[in-house]
Amino acid sequence: MTIEGGQTLNTTALKPLGSGLLALAVALATQSSQAASEAEQIIQGKCLACHAQEGDQQWSRISHQRKTPEGWLMTIARMQIMHGLEISDEDRRMLVKYLADRQGLAPSETEGARYALERRLNTQESFESQGFTEMCARCHSGARVLLQRRPASEWEHLVHFHLGQWPTTEFQALARDRDWLDLALNKMVPELAETQPLDSEAWIAWQQQAEAPVAGDWTLAGHMPGKGNFHARMNVTSAEGEDQFTLTLTGEYADGTVLAGTGQAILYTGYEWRANIEINDQMMRQVFVLNDGQLNGRMFLRDQDEVGADVVAVRDAKGTSRILALQPSHIKAGSEAEISIVGTGLSGLPILGNGVDVVEVLSASPDLIRVRARASANGIGVSTPAVGAIEGERFVVYDRIAAVKVVPEFAVARIGGNGSSTPKVEARFEAEAWAAGPDGKPGTDDDYRIGMVPANWAVAPFNEVADADGDVRFSGQMNANTGVFTPAAAGPNPQRRMMTNNAGNLKVQATVQDGAQTLSAEGQMIVTVQRWNNPPIP
Amino acid sequence: MDNKQLTSLMPVAALILGVLLPGSVLAKEPALEKEHEYMVVANYPNNIHVIDLQTDQLYKSCELPDAFGPGVTQIAPDGKTAYILNNHYEDIYGVNLDNCEVTFHASMSLQKGERTKSIFSFAISADGNELYAVQNPTMLYRDHYRVQPPRLAVYDTGAGLNAKPIRTFPSPRQVTVMQTGDDGTLYMAGADIYKVDVNTGKVDVAIPSRNWQRPLYAPPDVLNAWPIQSPSKDFTILYTTAKFQDESYNLETADWIYGFMNVNLETGETETTDFGPLTEIYFTGIRSPKDPNLVYGVLNRLAKYDIKKKELVQAAELDHSYYCIAINHDGSKIYLGGTFNDVAIYNADSMEKLGNIQLPGGDMAISTSQIFIR
Repeated sequence: MTIEGGQTLNTTALKPLGSGLLALAVALATQSSQAASEAEQIIQGKCLACHAQEGDQQWSRISHQRKTPEGWLMTIARMQIMHGLEISDEDRRMLVKYLADRQGLAPSETEGARYALERRLNTQESFESQGFTEMCARCHSGARVLLQRRPASEWEHLVHFHLGQWPTTEFQALARDRDWLDLALNKMVPELAETQPLDSEAWIAWQQQAEAPVAGDWTLAGHMPGKGNFHARMNVTSAEGEDQFTLTLTGEYADGTVLAGTGQAILYTGYEWRANIEINDQMMRQVFVLNDGQLNGRMFLRDQDEVGADVVAVRDAKGTSRILALQPSHIKAGSEAEISIVGTGLSGLPILGNGVDVVEVLSASPDLIRVRARASANGIGVSTPAVGAIEGERFVVYDRIAAVKVVPEFAVARIGGNGSSTPKVEARFEAEAWAAGPDGKPGTDDDYRIGMVPANWAVAPFNEVADADGDVRFSGQMNANTGVFTPAAAGPNPQRRMMTNNAGNLKVQATVQDGAQTLSAEGQMIVTVQRWNNPPIP
Repeated sequence: MDNKQLTSLMPVAALILGVLLPGSVLAKEPALEKEHEYMVVANYPNNIHVIDLQTDQLYKSCELPDAFGPGVTQIAPDGKTAYILNNHYEDIYGVNLDNCEVTFHASMSLQKGERTKSIFSFAISADGNELYAVQNPTMLYRDHYRVQPPRLAVYDTGAGLNAKPIRTFPSPRQVTVMQTGDDGTLYMAGADIYKVDVNTGKVDVAIPSRNWQRPLYAPPDVLNAWPIQSPSKDFTILYTTAKFQDESYNLETADWIYGFMNVNLETGETETTDFGPLTEIYFTGIRSPKDPNLVYGVLNRLAKYDIKKKELVQAAELDHSYYCIAINHDGSKIYLGGTFNDVAIYNADSMEKLGNIQLPGGDMAISTSQIFIR
């Protein structure tokens, strides 16, 4: 339906940042000033056809905004798509780097909105400002706005651009019932200029920061829904080009699957780590924040970004010892299990907690200690494990699972394929186990999280309409073992009522076996139509 | 005529000259018959189709210049010329339905650097001599855009292929569909239903909508994209609203209501009338020319309401969604268009499906279908 969703900028052709960096980056200078001067030459040659020179290294519009690398990429791509800019991929990469470094966001300015950069597209946004929600987050993610900084004059330009480019904006639901343009110009512009101003102390302070070391060896710990935990080592070597690196990654999943590949990375704004790495013949993308010798973020399939892992990584450095993760981080009282302690600079005896005996150290290296552990009933609860002199993370001993939650509680899958331009988007669920805590009653404040546990998965109609329409039959398949839901094909389905597509509204049901007891939990999944407009920041 | 227009008119010009263009297989003959009832509707890639309502068969098809969309149509009072808003809301064309010739063209943009769209917003005067459009211009400057105030532009329908406004007036923002009264008044739907003097540009409120003062009612939500020229000569605009139980204004206990605002285009009489509970959405609605107490609505079902009783009388299941409703002049048959490329026909009394008419070409999308007598 074109009226309600009349904004159809098609940017699906955009490739994420950094693809083929090495292949095209051979000629890039390593000196920052040299790169800057090259970028400025590109601006002179490409941008000043429309933008005005305002002073030394100052250009109209361009010099009055700050954005993430993805934000700048989208801006330049829009110039290509809508305004006839012709620019090579190499020059575009150069400009994105230059602009993100010179006019980026401080790390603190991206907090709370990084889910959009990390392509966590199941995030349910919620904002205090109703005006912001209805004016901005009605058509695209609020995060897209939160990841920009502008003065009032530039926010005003943005309002005029929106209504000029998509004139139905003021006629759509949540706009046609109010004086949209007046609200946009006279309420929203001042609000954004106040909450997201161009000038900020955080940005000034960030620019004074010393460059953090990146090259070296890193330990990664991650968790991928539908697949499980993994740990890996990643070698980072400086490459030609400013803040560019080559990567080699080797590791394994908890199920023994090898994780190995090579790739390239680029560091924007001193902390925005973006890498493309080909792992087991699939291109994966890393969107991390570099902070205090650690990388945090998400690694996901470049072409199927719902498939991804939360990742934390730490760089080997003399005098640095850190526990990154315990895999798994829980054990049932009275049982024995193999536990991996992932980190850097690990040396000494691992202690998992009261009542947990390390029966055998299976292997030990500074980045990975594997032990066989046995838990007794007197250590029930949460402990902070230690290796030698260092402590970190948490380890849980439980006697019984009191409750299970489906995570995420609400998810969106999308039909696709079938000759359409858009692939299917899966949904991935996990069962999160909770213990009742000392009071023995679930649902109280002393409950504690045990962790993700295996479950049996199924879907059911969410309501009577879903039942009558046969959503379970038509919308896709749930893998009973992995919790991965694969939606059905796109397009009208003549077998369905009113020839509708394979959309559906489903209950997601998890069944967990804990000894003799069976626990169940429920979530909701909407299987809906394709996301036609899928730019780097949704 | 500038190059853009020349190029855009090429397919039609080529047809007239008898040049065979690939894909140009639509029949531009024969002429329409006097006193005969027809329906027009537009679809992709850019066609306008005429359906004979005596036989419920496709009568003829005309190819249009430029790009399709939104395909809003208005039929001249003489039933000869169909006007259509197309080319991404930027151009209005007049097509002689007898021979498919394009006789009128107005670009909504009036100056260099301006890009102007009309959002479903044009109408023809009762005498057929003037065309009214609300235009929403944006100035495209080198490194920024600037939205301009909207204007009401008046055209002489005899102005040909490079028509320029003969009068322009300031217009309120957010104006969509419009219709003209027999007395020459222009009614246009925006924040309120406005009543405009097309000679002076004076804008009055005919029916308050956003600003209605109905005790215990929430302001209405109004979706207006289909300016249907109804046989009953009603300009009917559906709304949804909530009616609160009391002054605590509790939405939890409020009644959700469907209703319509209506201008009788013959008399100028107006009304705001609730017609039933809000249980499903209709994109368009139309009043029966046979029984003024009946109103029909369509989107995922075709529904019929008794206005006085404020209740759903009957609903028909549909093969797929339809956006635009039309009813013939004796009120016996309903024709559903929009979405795909088939028109569905229903018996207006029994609500039984009578058949489908397949159209050459693609989706009708949000085109407005119109029923008229030549």
